[in-house]
Amino acid sequence: MTRAGKRRAFHLPASHRRLQNVVDEELQFHLDGRIDELIAKGMTREQAEAEARRRFGDMDIYGREAAAIDERILQEQRRMDILDTLSRELRLGARSLLRSRGFAATAILTLALGLGATTAIFTVLDAVVLRPLPYRDADQLMEVTSPVSKFKGDTLWRLARHEMFYFKDNARTLSDIGVYQSGEVTVLGEEVSGKPAERALDAHVSASLFDVLGFRPLKGRLFTPDDNHVRQATVVILGERYWQRRFGSDETILNRVIQIDGYPMTVVGILPASAQLPDEIVDIWTPAHVDPAMPPMNNHTWSAIARLKPSTTAAEAQTELTALTSHLSELFPNGESASFVENTGFHTQVRPLRAVVVGDVMTRALWIIFGSVLFVLLIAGANLSNLFLVRIDARRREMALRTALGAERFHVAMQFLAEGTIIAVLAAFLAVVLAQIGLRLLVVAAPSGLPRLSEIHLTASGIGFAIGGALVAAFILGMLPLAGGSALDIALLREGGRGLTTSRGRQIVRGALVISQVALSLVLLTASGLMVRSFNNLRAVKPGFDPAGVVTMHVALPEATYGKSYERTSTFYEQLAERIGHLPGVKAVGFSEKIPLASSNLCTGVMIEALAIGDCPPTSIISPGYVEAMGIKVNGRPLAWSGMNARSGDMMVSQAFSDRIWPTQSAMDKGVRLMGKGFFHVSGVAADVLANGFDQPPVALVYFPMLPTADSFLYGVPTYTNMVVKTVSGDPLKLTPAIGKLVSELEPQAAIANVQTMDALVAKSMSKRSLTMMLLGIAAAMALFLSVVGLYGVISYIVAQRQSEIAIRMALGAQMAQVGRMVVGQSMLLAGIGVVIGLVAAFATTRVMTSLLFGVSPADPVLMSLAALVLLLVSALAGYGPARRAARVNPADAFRTT
Amino acid sequence: MPPAPELELIRGTLDLLILKTLSWAPMHGLAVLRWIEHATMEQLQIEEGALYPALHRLEQRGWLDAEWGYTDAGRKAKFYRLSATGRRQLTAELTRWSRYTNAVGLLLSAEPVP
Repeated sequence: MTRAGKRRAFHLPASHRRLQNVVDEELQFHLDGRIDELIAKGMTREQAEAEARRRFGDMDIYGREAAAIDERILQEQRRMDILDTLSRELRLGARSLLRSRGFAATAILTLALGLGATTAIFTVLDAVVLRPLPYRDADQLMEVTSPVSKFKGDTLWRLARHEMFYFKDNARTLSDIGVYQSGEVTVLGEEVSGKPAERALDAHVSASLFDVLGFRPLKGRLFTPDDNHVRQATVVILGERYWQRRFGSDETILNRVIQIDGYPMTVVGILPASAQLPDEIVDIWTPAHVDPAMPPMNNHTWSAIARLKPSTTAAEAQTELTALTSHLSELFPNGESASFVENTGFHTQVRPLRAVVVGDVMTRALWIIFGSVLFVLLIAGANLSNLFLVRIDARRREMALRTALGAERFHVAMQFLAEGTIIAVLAAFLAVVLAQIGLRLLVVAAPSGLPRLSEIHLTASGIGFAIGGALVAAFILGMLPLAGGSALDIALLREGGRGLTTSRGRQIVRGALVISQVALSLVLLTASGLMVRSFNNLRAVKPGFDPAGVVTMHVALPEATYGKSYERTSTFYEQLAERIGHLPGVKAVGFSEKIPLASSNLCTGVMIEALAIGDCPPTSIISPGYVEAMGIKVNGRPLAWSGMNARSGDMMVSQAFSDRIWPTQSAMDKGVRLMGKGFFHVSGVAADVLANGFDQPPVALVYFPMLPTADSFLYGVPTYTNMVVKTVSGDPLKLTPAIGKLVSELEPQAAIANVQTMDALVAKSMSKRSLTMMLLGIAAAMALFLSVVGLYGVISYIVAQRQSEIAIRMALGAQMAQVGRMVVGQSMLLAGIGVVIGLVAAFATTRVMTSLLFGVSPADPVLMSLAALVLLLVSALAGYGPARRAARVNPADAFRTT
Repeated sequence: MPPAPELELIRGTLDLLILKTLSWAPMHGLAVLRWIEHATMEQLQIEEGALYPALHRLEQRGWLDAEWGYTDAGRKAKFYRLSATGRRQLTAELTRWSRYTNAVGLLLSAEPVP
């Protein structure tokens, strides 16, 4: 309270009223002086008063004006005062922190670690889960699908074209609805510019989709409904990035004709890079053939996004669409017949688009990870509090002295607040840097399966989170010396006063902090252990195929030239397989419509010959060589090129399909019909493949050959398929250039795309778990480390405090080993209490992880005991160092210090 | 009360008069006013109350320091004193003022060149 300054020569009174009174006093002095003067000149008192007032003018106005100025002076002074105090305390704090650099560095690092981890995960959570999708009024966007629950469990069908028009015209809760199908197209090579043919990501869309998503063209125009009414589209819109990449941002691109899949299409517009399908990249937009004049068909293949009218809820839209769906069978008997609806449980489902994109499991996983890093932050906070408590204790006498000399408690606390603030601000800065590094690593290292990955950046809200967390920490640390108030106890100043009682209270606080650290660590250890177990269980599953050395890629032939001939297409694939088979290291080559873990396994209607029943298994059009390349074991005859070329009609079914259809018989030679009149006949039963994921039941696949028999056909000529190449040595991806060369030698307009190894697909299918496992593991390691540091610190401190007591004990004959045991025992006692509480907490909380676990119960007793054991062991270790120090105490000290 | 013609104070001049007055000695408001009256031979017409907002404003700017004290007669009064910055300000104002009056004087005494 030593602020000198010219302006403080007198104290301005604080309240508004008192300010006014002082001014009035000043003015009154003036008037009185004048009146005396005038009376002395011979006026009567009345005359003098009137004259003085006349000369003075309006006293009220001048008085108030002066008082208002005083008030501003006062405010300014207060501001200066606060700034002064603040800067002085900060200077003091900085100086005292510089004196104890070890303390400062430990505190800053501890807090920065906790805050950095929390900030990074908060940023991910914010970008993936919390922030709306990148569309205008994104919360109005709904996905509309058709579950067929009686038929295929949780398989979702999409919408048929006539459904879209029906909903568009009749649903009053929707402002609009649009549909799309995404896939790939081949943009043909251009001789003039020498550009090669290449695959591009394409979306067939209804014109209304752009309205629903709120897109505006960067150049040119968007589609009109008329564009959707032609069978083969003639116009195309390019995405901005693709326009840059393929056409070098050529400004003259509008109205130019480019060849897509062999069809000439005119570029009519460019969409900005920000315009994308939900979590899907699109290079090329083409108008889909969706025309209200088309006859209704049971063809539920169109992904649909609807926009709710303002102030309408998803539930209201669901109710309305459910009601509308119930009229479908009357209105469109060729679309959704009554028996079809009855048999499949066909209905319509409305879900917020964001929930669909992010997914429940991912949302849950991210919240769990966020919760776990919050635990780490709490543990870091507990460590920091302990560090501060020790520091406060060390300075108890100094503070008591200051209090005794009249410093207010607030000002003493100010000093710690200032130290806390300096530490927090530096820690926040470091935390932001750590978070930034962490996020970079996360985006690189992690998870091809993480949605909205491209939207993850450290944003203002992330930085705000770090700073907010730091300020809360600073405030709590600043308040610590006031809590209990014992540090400011003047009684400490008594001779030799050691404030034993107060220090015992503090001991309890410190112990409680350590106990909660241990408990939190146990929860995190258990959680990460559960993830490790789940992941290992998953890795141990036999998926029915062998991913080692297998590379897959899309192969696409121009539809205009190959689309009408099974023979021509099949011959191309046979020749390609033959040539690639001669590359060094290649063991097998085959083609398949579906790839495990990569393709969706929707079903196709088939007819079973002798049983005369229909069924809807997922089907895949394959070539000879596929099962060999994919490492799928087959009972019976695998397909062979010679047999297929002779139109043998050989096909294969999976074990699961065989078990379902012919539970008591062999599937061999049974007939299955896809389309047309003729039946294919089962020549082999393939081992089950976990094509939907290692934690899912096997898919009951049915495999048809790519060359059908003379009197049957497939649902289309397979101009677009996946090539599977099994290699025996080296990195299979190294073969890609050689394969590409062979493909274009055979057919210059053919394209390959999406090259990926089966190993990568397997990793991707587990990415949610591996990501959760990795992050929980990091959190648990940090928690364990920080807890050990905390435990070590507290035990060391207790030993230091009890040094004289220990010395006395030893003087009285206690053995070194006894003293050591006592100290280690103390450490383990604290840890033991923490472990018990932690076990209860883990039991209560790990249940939220159930959907992420595989083959292990959330309350796995082995894991929990293991985690408890680990913590007890490290707590014994943490006590060991201080115990050695205690054992070396010289008994003679007992008589020196105290 | 001499019925001499009174001059209206030019805006902003009051500040200069106060600073100059206080450059002699710390004074309370009334004393400042009396000094101005005396020195100008009562030719300036000032509404006395206007002095106080001016004093407080100069205090806010840091040109004056204020302090309550006692007059010789033993009455409590608020005294104003020129601060160091106030003194610098006065010097600057004085220079400006004399340049201003000089310039005006030059014009007023100038005659058209034949």
